[in-house]
Amino acid sequence: MRKRAILLAIMLAAAPGLALAGGDAAKGKEIYEKRCWWCHGAKGAGDGPAAEFLNPPPRDFTSGVYKWKSTPFDEIIPTDEDFVKMVKGDINHNNIAGWNGMNGTSMPGWGDMLGTQDVNDVIAFIKSLAELGAPQKPAISISGAVSSSKESLERGQKVFKDRCTECHGEEGRGDGTKKLKDDLGFRTWPRNLTKPFTFRVSNKAKDIYTRITVGIPGTQMPSFADPSSQKKLTDEERWDVANYVASIEAPYKKPTESTVINALRVEGEVPDKHDDPAWEKAKYTSFYMVPQLIAAERHFTPSLDTISVKAVYNDKEVAMLVAWDDRTKSLPGNAKAIEIADGDVFEDAVAVQWPVTIPQESEKPYFGMGDAMLPVNIWYWKSESGAGQPQSFKLLNSKGIKDREERDPASVGLKYSAAYDKGTWRVVMKRPIKTGDASKDIQFEEGKFIPVAFAAWDGSNKEKGSKHEMTTWCWILMQPPTGSSVYVWPIIVGCIILGAELAWLKSTRGRKKTGE
Amino acid sequence: MKIPKLLQFAVLVLIAYGIFKAPGWFGVPIPGSLIMMYMFFAVVTILLVMTSTEKSAQELFTPIKALVDDPSKAMTRNVVFAVIPIIGAVIVFNQVKPSFEAPVELRATHPAPPSTLRAFNKSFNIGTLENPMRKLAKEDPAKFKELVKEGGVVYYRNCFYCHGDKLDSKGHFAQGFNPLPLPFQGKDTIAQLQESFVFWRISTGGPGLPKESTPWLSSMPIWKDLLTEDEIWKAILFIYDYTGNVPRSWEK
Ligand code: HEC
Ligand code: HEC
Ligand code: HEC
Repeated sequence: MRKRAILLAIMLAAAPGLALAGGDAAKGKEIYEKRCWWCHGAKGAGDGPAAEFLNPPPRDFTSGVYKWKSTPFDEIIPTDEDFVKMVKGDINHNNIAGWNGMNGTSMPGWGDMLGTQDVNDVIAFIKSLAELGAPQKPAISISGAVSSSKESLERGQKVFKDRCTECHGEEGRGDGTKKLKDDLGFRTWPRNLTKPFTFRVSNKAKDIYTRITVGIPGTQMPSFADPSSQKKLTDEERWDVANYVASIEAPYKKPTESTVINALRVEGEVPDKHDDPAWEKAKYTSFYMVPQLIAAERHFTPSLDTISVKAVYNDKEVAMLVAWDDRTKSLPGNAKAIEIADGDVFEDAVAVQWPVTIPQESEKPYFGMGDAMLPVNIWYWKSESGAGQPQSFKLLNSKGIKDREERDPASVGLKYSAAYDKGTWRVVMKRPIKTGDASKDIQFEEGKFIPVAFAAWDGSNKEKGSKHEMTTWCWILMQPPTGSSVYVWPIIVGCIILGAELAWLKSTRGRKKTGE
Repeated sequence: MKIPKLLQFAVLVLIAYGIFKAPGWFGVPIPGSLIMMYMFFAVVTILLVMTSTEKSAQELFTPIKALVDDPSKAMTRNVVFAVIPIIGAVIVFNQVKPSFEAPVELRATHPAPPSTLRAFNKSFNIGTLENPMRKLAKEDPAKFKELVKEGGVVYYRNCFYCHGDKLDSKGHFAQGFNPLPLPFQGKDTIAQLQESFVFWRISTGGPGLPKESTPWLSSMPIWKDLLTEDEIWKAILFIYDYTGNVPRSWEK
């Protein structure tokens, strides 16, 4: 027994790198080979069979570089707690329903499958791949927090303009002007800071502060605490900008459970342009978009993640405003667009899909461009195909991916307008409620749940044709004005009950009087 | 101490309501209109039971009668008489006010498969079809292990986006699909299915489903267009192996 203890002590002394509080690298290797190698690679080099389909790519453990750590910029090794959080997943996150891993990546949270000991074992193993020991420096201190006052936010905004916009864009939508690559040459897109549900860690001020103090190792996101950097910020400035970033969240962009767009009835004209005040009363409904990985040429590494839609209508027309954040305005042939794009530049685009006939029963057209029995209408907008070229707008009737007819939108009075501003596309599409031909075009109806689906393309992310992001069927409801009729029945019922009560009261009084 | 009958009645009705609402707290809500109907029957049943004997009926109704009979309760009566019509009106309002909740789309997750499957220029009899690689588990365990691993590679190049890195249906794109992908973990998933069924589901995907399973909604790709027959069988070996599940056999 004692011999073994001594042996263990010698082993630990000889291999400090393998010593995570009780982690057994050999056991960890077994877990790794069952659960992790598919992405992180047989030898941990981030080159598993799934890797080529992932952006961000799985971490290369042989490099020993970790992104989501809390030790200072000049300490490459994360703390044990950091490792546990990376592997288990962090429940304090701005959660996406059904996902417990690192948001915006394919790295799942393993806390529900691996016990504490398993997690420690697997961490010991991956640390051994780069012979990492314990960090020499402790995690940075977050005790100097500056509270998020109006003054702090104002100061933070200034710092942001100065230090962050070149990558994260003026409004923080990730639409910077720099092409970014990580140390291994993979494309990295700076975070859209208005969408905290895409943050790997969280948008609490302390986590943002940690990020800018530590930097994101292996990427171009620097440490702003590095005294040798010209960009260095004081501790207070870092808290100010963290407060500011936490404040620019746009909550409406995070999809909720609701799958219904409530179209609002308006008096007067239905707007043509996205900046018309008539839109203000209507509310956005947002949906997750996923890459098209179902048929034909598939797409696995999307750069668009959600789409937000609102709609208004009157007696004659219905209009919808489709808005989505796209980091790049993709202009084919344009030098600036080419420089920032990943590969060839194609147009940006969006498409809205409707069943030609509003389903009476539950049966709908196939969500991927309809089917032979139940065709769909597709309203398909594309940005300029080159400097000085017009945008394009098409009306398609589709019976599946291989069978579609192109029509002139003007023939049914279908119109559009589109504008790109600081990382957001806003496209308005508008059509008369009824057209001449019910066999070819959807005839909108008030008060009915109408299926609708969306697709979008980021031309700077190699997206074209069948490579795009999409939603499945959602709903739109042209919501008739609530009117007074909904109050009539409750009042009638209330009165009837009251009447019955009084009648009862009267009858007992009557009985008493007659001396019963 | 004896609990007044009227209070008993109120408590029982509340319990019934709680029971109908309970599934909703675990994510499988009963639609509101059904709850209304169940509650109607529940209230009628409770009333019938509580008025089954003359005595208990009297006990139940005395406090109500007292409201109108007993002049000292005039104040309570006025309050009750005012509140009840309001409650009635609110219930009716909730029924008639426009609803913005999406229609519920019911679907059969595990429909009966067709008897034959046409794929890979062949016809498969689903009633008798078996995984041709399964027998290697006993005959050549080393080879079998290799096939499972190859199946894993198929899985992590094609399926995990939706069905999850952990085969728990929580892939990194899963939240964008409706209906959600199905899990393979747990004893109530693929362990309940024959491999021939799974082979059919994978080969023909969402569009291969019968109408009661809403083929127009399912994002499950048609894998016979994208994978080979062997790749599908290997992927099946993998999803059973990883989750520790055993396919349902024909005898059971
Ligand atoms: C489905 C693919 C996949 C699987 C399976 C997977 N990972 Fe990851 N993992 C990723 C991706 C992608 C990243 C990169 C995230 C990023 O860049 O932000 C990552 C990152 C990591 C990191 C680094 C986080 C950081 O701060 O840099 C660790 C540690 C890690 N994974 C551990 C594991 C362990 C342990 C397992 C197995 C139990 C595992 N992973 C299984 C995809 C996967
Ligand atoms: C040189 C470009 C660059 C600059 C300058 C920059 N960032 Fe970043 N930032 C990035 C990149 C790239 C990422 C994404 C890295 C990744 O996920 O691999 C990122 C990610 C982030 C994140 C996401 C953290 C998470 O949990 O996902 C935050 C927050 C952030 N940056 C804040 C800032 C702030 C605040 C500033 C200014 C003080 C700033 N960044 C300056 C490039 C930059
Ligand atoms: C685009 C997302 C997606 C991909 C990729 C995908 N599936 Fe599916 N799959 C689904 C959805 C959604 C369902 C549930 C709906 C349905 O029944 O069709 C499903 C259902 C299934 C079922 C039926 C399970 C049951 O309990 O009846 C099996 C088996 C299956 N998938 C296997 C696979 C395999 C194997 C792959 C890879 C070769 C794969 N899937 C890839 C989305 C996907």
